[in-house]
Amino acid sequence: MADVAQAVPAGTHGEHESTGIEHRKLGMWVFLSSEFLFFGAFITTYLLFASRPGLARPYPAEVYDIPFTSVSSFVLLMSSLTMVLAHNAIERNDQSGTRTWLLATAMLGSVFIGGQVFEFTAFVTEYGMKLTTSPAASAFFVLTGFHGLHVLVGVLMLFSLYGMSRRMGGLSPKQHMNVELVGLYWHFVDIIWIVIFTVVYLLSKPPL
Amino acid sequence: MASDTTHAAHPTPLLYVKIAVLLAILTGIEVALFYLEDAVGPLVVPFLIILAFLKFVIVIGYYMHLRYEKPFLSRFFSAGFVLAILVYAVVLGTFGVLAIRAAT
Repeated sequence: MADVAQAVPAGTHGEHESTGIEHRKLGMWVFLSSEFLFFGAFITTYLLFASRPGLARPYPAEVYDIPFTSVSSFVLLMSSLTMVLAHNAIERNDQSGTRTWLLATAMLGSVFIGGQVFEFTAFVTEYGMKLTTSPAASAFFVLTGFHGLHVLVGVLMLFSLYGMSRRMGGLSPKQHMNVELVGLYWHFVDIIWIVIFTVVYLLSKPPL
Repeated sequence: MASDTTHAAHPTPLLYVKIAVLLAILTGIEVALFYLEDAVGPLVVPFLIILAFLKFVIVIGYYMHLRYEKPFLSRFFSAGFVLAILVYAVVLGTFGVLAIRAAT
């Protein structure tokens, strides 16, 4: 198939464990698998309160700016593209390309965080929806805030990789796995946002 | 074993770009469905869930390369996802019923 590159020798990814998967990579998958439970708890809490009658207004669904959040979602989706291109570049030992795509991913992540700060500020100052307004508002801010924190950690890791590559004139074969691990983390943050965007923003309704 | 000495082939940058375009289109359809809720009716909910699930699976499969990894990793990752769905379905069911009882 024209769209599929040559097989990659396992030796380029470093030491393998008895499972056949590099142990740092397996550790990252274990961590990400556990994160489903972490974010699931916050999404469930939001669903329990988002439409419950009798809470103080405004409800989160009354103040959402869907066009704005759609653009933010698009930005985060495109950051997954730039991240996977960074991973592809490091597999080809294209150091300059890796730096370019890592920086692009970090910039797109920063734009997403900036959008979230803007959104939170608008909710508090324009609509008076604060962390303590109601359980629904608390659940919204805690869920999206923790997701934003994950994005921030990802951005810091991306800038660190970019800085390491710049300082050392490129990432060594031993450090290629770091790009893959940060990539896995970044894509996971993206898929969690895919769920949040649909369940929290598009599907939740305030009580009648 | 041969499968232990090589990773499966990864997609090319062109395929990654095609996937990104598909993800953008799916997101556009989601937003359009949100605004067309009155016209589409109650089917909008399953449509939105299916679209989100599609995007979810595409990112995991292609960008996280799970479809090119060993099946062991897929089963492991899916287990965490299924466990979370089951646990929180029980929580939602339990507290949902309690909330309805309290309201009546």
